[in-house]
Amino acid sequence: MKPFPGRHRSIRQSRGDVPFKVICVVFVVFFSLICLYPLWLVLSVSLSDETDVLRYGYAMWPRKFSLDTYYYIFRQSGSRITDSYIVTIVTTLVGTLGALLVTGMISFALSIKHLRYRGVIAFVCNFTIIFSAGLIPWYIICSRYLGFTNTYAGLILPSMFSVWYMFMLRTFLSDIPPSLYESATLDGAGYFGIFWRITVPLSKTALLTIGLMYALNYWNNWWNALFFINRKELYPLQFLLYNVLSSVNAIRGGQMPAGVGSIKIPAETVKMSLTVVTIGPIILLYPFIQKYFISGIMSGAVKE
Amino acid sequence: MVSRPGKYPYKRERVFLKEMRLNKTLYLMCVPALLLLIALCYIPFGGVYMAFTEFKPLDGIFGSRFVGLDKFRMFFISKDAMRSVSNTLIINAWGLALGLVFPITLAVALNELRRSVLKRLAQGLMFFPYFLSWVVVGAISWAMFNSDTGMINTLYKSLGWQPVKWMAKGEYWKGFLITFNVWKWSGYSSILYLAAMANFDPNLFEAAEVDGANKWRRIIHLTLPMLKPTAVTLTLLSIGRIFYGDFGMVWGIIGNNPVIGPWVQIIDTYVYTSMRTLGFSYATAVGLMQSVLGLVLVISANAVAKRINDGEGLF
Repeated sequence: MKPFPGRHRSIRQSRGDVPFKVICVVFVVFFSLICLYPLWLVLSVSLSDETDVLRYGYAMWPRKFSLDTYYYIFRQSGSRITDSYIVTIVTTLVGTLGALLVTGMISFALSIKHLRYRGVIAFVCNFTIIFSAGLIPWYIICSRYLGFTNTYAGLILPSMFSVWYMFMLRTFLSDIPPSLYESATLDGAGYFGIFWRITVPLSKTALLTIGLMYALNYWNNWWNALFFINRKELYPLQFLLYNVLSSVNAIRGGQMPAGVGSIKIPAETVKMSLTVVTIGPIILLYPFIQKYFISGIMSGAVKE
Repeated sequence: MVSRPGKYPYKRERVFLKEMRLNKTLYLMCVPALLLLIALCYIPFGGVYMAFTEFKPLDGIFGSRFVGLDKFRMFFISKDAMRSVSNTLIINAWGLALGLVFPITLAVALNELRRSVLKRLAQGLMFFPYFLSWVVVGAISWAMFNSDTGMINTLYKSLGWQPVKWMAKGEYWKGFLITFNVWKWSGYSSILYLAAMANFDPNLFEAAEVDGANKWRRIIHLTLPMLKPTAVTLTLLSIGRIFYGDFGMVWGIIGNNPVIGPWVQIIDTYVYTSMRTLGFSYATAVGLMQSVLGLVLVISANAVAKRINDGEGLF
């Protein structure tokens, strides 16, 4: 019946392989849904009516679609959210640009092979990964001696240089052929000129990748605020959310205007809509930035 | 690198100055990063001295009374401290085991989907939790577990079951945290394994197919052994950090919740809370012990990695 042994084998084989593939698809789909589910839930509740949520509980679909909560958090709760948004955006922008410059320069210097003390400098960096003084001395130095309390410096400087990202970038920059630099040196360009005019344009993608990683780190950072910020005008978005989750009163401004005190705070939906507001920009940018993170993780995290 | 007196007394210095002059710009370009490291990592080493004193803010770090190893003794007789150590180890050990099995399974399954739309979509969804902060995960855990309106209890009620006061049941939360951790990191780790798989030699797999090995056999005898180096490296990295808990995870999800807190107290949150209750000196001592243990483990893990990977260390 089956004249070709080869064909016979492939049929026998596919009998075992089809269920296997089905298992794989089911597993992948199942886990993807688990990753999507909480986000869907948060979004759905944020668009629900507060009384419905209190009566029927959280649901995957709003019973009565309502934008009241968003109206509340942006309009009625004072300038708390917009203030925090501005703090987060300023921190992220300034921090990322600063971090890129700082990291880019040292990575470039350490990628130059004839730099005599580059081993020493790399060790000085590496050592901080494997050994640290711990949280408390760091906190005391930052708050008492560096004056980080209630300043943008406290939000930005502690996260401005990552040794991991530096080594990732250096690996990339080391692949640029030295001959490119040599011709520029002959033309009389200094090292900073070479860095600015040759290295930076050649490594746009790598810099973008590292920059996005820093930016995500700044956007999601709330522990710097936990340590250094106690003035509400300087709360980043994430830290505001942290406080709202602990107590919903944190969302209100310092003083309530007369007559507004009677407004009922939609506590449950506020928590969820603030969460949506916090991750909103990430969701919108995600389709475009995802691939940079993937390539960054692949290139830097595990050595062959 | 001991300098030899009498022999070439100025040579090293001359070489240094010449190098500095020659590559001045390059060294200057390292300065901002080095300044940050010095200010935020190296100067705090001086503060470690606090661990051996009874620190009073008014007296400053070096003006406070020296008490020797008292603070370290306090640590070993404190029940809270010991519990925070065991919690750290338990959470990390589970994270290590599940963080190995789950992402590898995911990567193998994803790899079977070839280049399909489903694969790209699924990978996008799985990777997304990595982009969320622990505070956002905290909001999600509230949406799931809060007693009155949470998703789980809403489900329980609709099934006619008695709702559970999750926020008062500390004993469950270690498990919840481990689950959230796997949820957040699996997509990320599976990328590492997929990257390793992309470098596999397809000829090997074709040869195995011709020899009649089915999918299962190919995975057991080819894929998994070839993923071993990646898995070993990642495992050694986590073992090196097993005494470091994820402060952000515990504090972002649990915060200072007095009911759940003690159940999921890890060394890192213990340092943070004892800073207020038991003083800076004690908290410094705890943090110092964690760092020293961590250093020993990282160096050992690195040595093991070097032996396994032919001289290639972890960093």
